[in-house]
Amino acid sequence: MLGYICKYAPIEVFQSMGVEMKRIEPEVTNFTQADMKMHPNICSFAKGVLEDVLAGDYEGVILTTCCDSIRRLYDVLTEELPDKFIYILDTPRITKDAGITLYEKRIWKMIRTYEAFSGKHFEEERLAELLKTRQKEQAISLKEHALNIGIVGARANENIARILEEKGANVAFDITCTGLRRKYLLEPDYVMTGYTRGLLSQFPCMRMEAAAGRDELIEKYARSVDGIIYHTVQFCDNYSYEYAWLKKVLPGPMLQLETDYTKQSYGQVLTRIEAFLESLAPGKEKRRPAPKGEKKDMYVMGIDSGSTSTNAVIMDGERKIVASAVVRTGAKSGESAQKILGEILGKAGLAREEIAWIVSTGYGRVSIDFADENVTEISCHGRGAHYFNPKVRTILDIGGQDSKAIHLSEAGEVTDFVMNDKCAAGTGRFLEMIARTLEIDVDELGPVALQSTEDIEITSMCSVFAESEVISLIANNKEKADIAWGVCRAIAGKAYSLMKRVGLEETFMMTGGVAKNPGVVRAVEEKIQSRLYICPEPEIVGAAGAALYALDKMQA
Amino acid sequence: MQIVDKYIDHVRGEAIRRPEKSWDKILLGFKANKWRMKLLPNKNISEGYHRLESMMMSLVADSLSREGSYVWGNIFAPCELMQCFGLNTLSIECLSCYMSGYHLEDYFIDYAQNMGIAPTLCSYHKTFVGGVESGVVQKPEYGVTTSLSCDGNLNTFRYLEKKANVPFTFLDVPYASDRESVAYLADQLRDLAGELEERTGRRFEEEKLKDILRTENETRRELKRFFEYQKIYYYPGELISHLYMMMGMHLLIGTKELLELLRFMNEEIQKGPVFRGKKILWIHLLPFYQESLKEYFNSSQEYQIIASDIILDYMDELDAEHPFEALAGKIIRNLYNGSYAHKAEMIGRLADELHPDAVIHFCHWGCKQASGGSILLKEKMQEKGIPMLILDGDGIDKRNSHDGQIKTRLEAFLEMIGTGGREAC
Repeated sequence: MLGYICKYAPIEVFQSMGVEMKRIEPEVTNFTQADMKMHPNICSFAKGVLEDVLAGDYEGVILTTCCDSIRRLYDVLTEELPDKFIYILDTPRITKDAGITLYEKRIWKMIRTYEAFSGKHFEEERLAELLKTRQKEQAISLKEHALNIGIVGARANENIARILEEKGANVAFDITCTGLRRKYLLEPDYVMTGYTRGLLSQFPCMRMEAAAGRDELIEKYARSVDGIIYHTVQFCDNYSYEYAWLKKVLPGPMLQLETDYTKQSYGQVLTRIEAFLESLAPGKEKRRPAPKGEKKDMYVMGIDSGSTSTNAVIMDGERKIVASAVVRTGAKSGESAQKILGEILGKAGLAREEIAWIVSTGYGRVSIDFADENVTEISCHGRGAHYFNPKVRTILDIGGQDSKAIHLSEAGEVTDFVMNDKCAAGTGRFLEMIARTLEIDVDELGPVALQSTEDIEITSMCSVFAESEVISLIANNKEKADIAWGVCRAIAGKAYSLMKRVGLEETFMMTGGVAKNPGVVRAVEEKIQSRLYICPEPEIVGAAGAALYALDKMQA
Repeated sequence: MQIVDKYIDHVRGEAIRRPEKSWDKILLGFKANKWRMKLLPNKNISEGYHRLESMMMSLVADSLSREGSYVWGNIFAPCELMQCFGLNTLSIECLSCYMSGYHLEDYFIDYAQNMGIAPTLCSYHKTFVGGVESGVVQKPEYGVTTSLSCDGNLNTFRYLEKKANVPFTFLDVPYASDRESVAYLADQLRDLAGELEERTGRRFEEEKLKDILRTENETRRELKRFFEYQKIYYYPGELISHLYMMMGMHLLIGTKELLELLRFMNEEIQKGPVFRGKKILWIHLLPFYQESLKEYFNSSQEYQIIASDIILDYMDELDAEHPFEALAGKIIRNLYNGSYAHKAEMIGRLADELHPDAVIHFCHWGCKQASGGSILLKEKMQEKGIPMLILDGDGIDKRNSHDGQIKTRLEAFLEMIGTGGREAC
């Protein structure tokens, strides 16, 4: 069995020789070998392939010179696996005749090398026979009564399509490298030339020169669906250019989804896709407010299970908050949920049976077994923010381990969002780390920062670097207040780029625990040159939104 | 100096507030700097390095100020061919460096990232994309880029073509070094010459290109001699001097002025004192702003960077009689092209000739091809008994390069290879 990764790899050549070809789709738990043998800052896919090939049972691997990371992957694999057939095929970026001629020669050379390696024999006629069966046309398959989603961008792993299908959405097309169908026009007199031409004239990826046809096709396809998922791979930068471009030119909704080919990233991918589907979901009519006077004694509950705190809200049939509670999340989110359930029922003076519907949200939303339904924190924050202040268009939510910016329409619907849940910089955890380093309580950090008299720049973007930068500032006898203010401004800088990516439209609202930190609030306000609306209890906005979703259910 | 700093701050502020009006101020600063360099030389560096710095500043200031005089390139674009048409090549990587003279790199990088450009992309490319997108950096009529070494090239130029309307020629550099590859690229170079003929209205003269390549051969021989001399003599320069040399060897190679300068440097260096410190072979980019590195390498009699792979990334003679094939071969056999084994072999050759005491490999943020092979190179150097240090950082964005961490690693490494003082004991 030979592994391959690229759509330009001539897999049919090997198949015609009776070789089993497997497209490598890594899903790994760590990058231990890759970090040791390559470098941490290499494309996650390339690192994943290295882990997979070193652990797997391949006769060899066919790579192409598709990008810098794969070129280096080849170097490491040849070094590590000298007895296997590790081959890099020099694939032109030009699809005109010169490119085809060169590629055909390269393919022949590869065939001869493999024949010598394996003792197998290649026959052009057998390839011709095989090609007759590869005639699948690229097409869009739309379904009625379902959200139709298109996948574009860097090679998408199977999880994306699987999640979409599980959530009832239809994958109308997948034009990433992994979703394309192969079709060849057989040229009986020039089998290999025709085959090479077919390979190079596939829908071009971003490494190819003639990616202009790409734009047209994507724009045409995009108009036929409800939304686009634009997939990028961590440390693969090529597709971000196209994302930046499409963001400007495509009229419809588009989600940028970054993955890193680890099993652990599944939860992050799931939240983003769910939130995106929720923002596209038809049936907005469910959101109408309850008619006055009806079901006054009907109660619902929203529960937001975050990494730092678990928050709950009980609402009555008239959309009035009856009780709310905030507790720290322990090691098990399920236990904190049980705790808060008792506490909030006590506060509201209600029994469990009196709660008609419970919607959970937040990072631990699936672990709350008493919830009737779960909705992502993106949709719930949007809903909650609109409830507290209908003028809000941009929400900044900084929680314990993630931060996000959400854009709302006038009707309070989520129209765009970006999340940072991959790095601690710009989150509540970061503030806790710094407070510990400064030897002050995290609650004091904000008030202390406001006493600052000198602007200090914390330049490091990574929380680990920033912490050592703070330590050197302490060593240089800088004032705590000034360092704290510097840290607040660093967080504000991160927050600003998130908010800018969703459009920076007024009115602004800040939610989450960090909204209680007056230092960060002021720093963000200075950065956006506008005021932030903050409701009396910024930690319950998500739970309030979840309660509103529960109410929809009752009134649907 | 205060006036200079004030002007830099003023221009930075203008670029952010009124981008459309800031370009003239940026150019004025470059021109003033050109004259300042001519009139007030930096006393800490040798005359040769000083002239080099001044030559590069003039290239940038003069080209940007004269419409139609330059194309955007990447660092591997064949400037020799552009010279045939009286065009200068300003690489986007170098322009990013010059923009950082106004401390604009962080603003531009954030600007690009806010547009959706990946934070993990090379910071030179992000700086440049942000500079153009923000409306500060003004554009020429044409661009020339290659696929050599960096995935960002094609994508950055394609993006700028769409966003800023700058058409470009893309040269697809094959991976394998054989006759087919040379023919394939040589034909593309011929097409480029045709394209430039049309755009400039000037006729291409092959004899001129041959002449340029002959000068280039001379220049490369002088550079090799210069590396040899740096092994023997102390030649005061700064970290950034090596970056200027890299720019010169890529953007001005084939010109008489660069050849003359290297000849001058080879004369000047022999008049200096004998160098008794540690000889460093530097791999990849140099973070010219990094305090700890400046402290150890700027005009230092203890540690001298004697050569770098980014300055001499192609080592052989060009066959001037077949200029297109020669240029194609030069690009294909560049040490940044092809397998890492090829790169390691060429660096090995350099090490065999120059006998450095140590190798320092700087992994620039976002540069996958350099970072991805750094460990393989370290193994190769270990085979030769040469200690190698891998430093992670960023050639332009200070926020990705933590000085404390670099300092610790560097000092430990220098202690490891033995300081001059201790060895003298």
